[in-house]
Amino acid sequence: MDRVSEFAIETEGLTKVFRSRWTGRELRAVDDISLRVRRGTTYGLLGPNGAGKTTFVKMLLSCTHPTAGRAMVFGRDARETEARRPIGYLPENHRFPTYMTGWDMLDFYSALSGMEETARRKRIPEMLNLVGLDERARDLRLGKYSKGMLQRVGLAQALMHSPRLLVLDEPSDGVDPVGRKQIRDVLQTLEQQGVTIFLNSHLLAEVELFCREVAIIQKGKLALSGTVEDLTSGSGYRVEGLKVPERLEIELRARARSFGSSNGSLQLLFATREEANQAVDLLRSNGCEIEALGRSRSTLEEVFIKTVEAL
Amino acid sequence: MLNTTIALIRDTFREAFARRIFWGFFGCCTALLLFLMFIMGIDVVQGAIATVTIFGRTSPTRDVQDLVRQTQSVIAMVLYFAGMALAVFASAGLVSAVFEPGRIELLLSKPVSRTHLLLGRYAGNVLVIAANILYLVIGSWIIFGIKTGVWGWGFPLSSLCTIFIFSVLLAVLVLVGVLWDSAAVAIMATFAIMIVTPILAQKATLERLLDSESSRNVVRILYYMLPKTSDISVIIRHLITNQPVDSWMPVWSTALFGGVALALGLWRFQRRSF
Repeated sequence: MDRVSEFAIETEGLTKVFRSRWTGRELRAVDDISLRVRRGTTYGLLGPNGAGKTTFVKMLLSCTHPTAGRAMVFGRDARETEARRPIGYLPENHRFPTYMTGWDMLDFYSALSGMEETARRKRIPEMLNLVGLDERARDLRLGKYSKGMLQRVGLAQALMHSPRLLVLDEPSDGVDPVGRKQIRDVLQTLEQQGVTIFLNSHLLAEVELFCREVAIIQKGKLALSGTVEDLTSGSGYRVEGLKVPERLEIELRARARSFGSSNGSLQLLFATREEANQAVDLLRSNGCEIEALGRSRSTLEEVFIKTVEAL
Repeated sequence: MLNTTIALIRDTFREAFARRIFWGFFGCCTALLLFLMFIMGIDVVQGAIATVTIFGRTSPTRDVQDLVRQTQSVIAMVLYFAGMALAVFASAGLVSAVFEPGRIELLLSKPVSRTHLLLGRYAGNVLVIAANILYLVIGSWIIFGIKTGVWGWGFPLSSLCTIFIFSVLLAVLVLVGVLWDSAAVAIMATFAIMIVTPILAQKATLERLLDSESSRNVVRILYYMLPKTSDISVIIRHLITNQPVDSWMPVWSTALFGGVALALGLWRFQRRSF
């Protein structure tokens, strides 16, 4: 049974220092990261290559031992064997045994997850079907699978024992756009079922589309964390008008923080709500049409690049 | 627990089948058994061998017990030295495959202790080799028994000694594999033990040849510390030829070495970050 914790993942000062055996040089792959992932949420871990994302994930799964700090999974110390029971994991750059068929692979890894044989036999066809692998794939050796098929069977493997925490490292790597959509649909269904999904990906658009919360790590440190909604909401207000007379356009440009125009539409960004309201009044009083109005938003990519470059 | 252990053992067999290791050994063993069954003809008359025919050539009459035990000794020794070298060579890949990046992480993410994972793989590997050894030894024992009526227990028992020494050498493969992730280094280390220990078995001769007491002490320490492959081969011959075994010390001291090597391998595996 789980210990009582409202968090699926909780880390306190988690640190991993790699020391070279010969030179003694140190590399702080993960540096004092404290993070909390609520149960049932979809959480994205972002960072440039070499930022420490995979090392962080490996410490959650006890593949890598922390130098300092601790990681908890559903209130249990991640180093305990039982802490890994509710976790389904799809590693990045996986090397599934090529001598196994799709069926063998699902059977083997779910047996290690503690599933009984009768339950495995019932569940394997369901999971293969869920990830879009046909009958042919179940008896085909993994050595003959395409990259996309391996990702799908890897995801099926992670879902076999109905985990309550799904840790996915680049899950749509090598998958075609249709396959990505299928994977996203599967994950959305799981989210509705209350499964916590922890996504480690460099595909920012994918994370923005799917995750509710994100953390950005850079050089092993936690640079930023919060809900996608909060992080991408900008600090200004956007007004877009049509058929704006030249005289008014010059006046509004002077008031706006930034502006742009295309196909007869004028886009304006104002720093305050009052300025935006005044602009709307002016546009309406001059007979212009309002095409769009709202808070300005940044993309997750913009937030990511700004955060990473600041460090 | 049992479910997991069976899965790990079955996986090792599956990999051995896929790597043709199992089938390679099985083919060699089957060829030898077919040779004994069809090529070697033994004609027994009143408890003594009248003729022994190999490839159509007939040899002089010999004592049936003596012939069977000598032949079984030869098979056991070939299996013990040549078969063991092949088994070590083949098994190194099975051990190091587990530590491959991309594979080990997924194994470690499962709710199975590291000790259980490694011991499951170890047991699977021992069973792969044991299955072939038992197939050859029990198969040839039955053929000899049917053809000659000689059914001594020494030969089947000798197979247990062979499996035992393999399990000790496999412990060395595991230890070196965990330390260096290299099948090649693991093979070299294990072969070094297989080459050095028969030399150390000539302890008395070596002590006579060495001048300094410290050198003699080094030889003694190494002799008692390392597995006694040569001494155990003598025990096997004694078992087959129905002679009393002088001392079982080589067996238990070798077991101690294997236990320590395996324990060190497990300890290192527990502490490693992947």
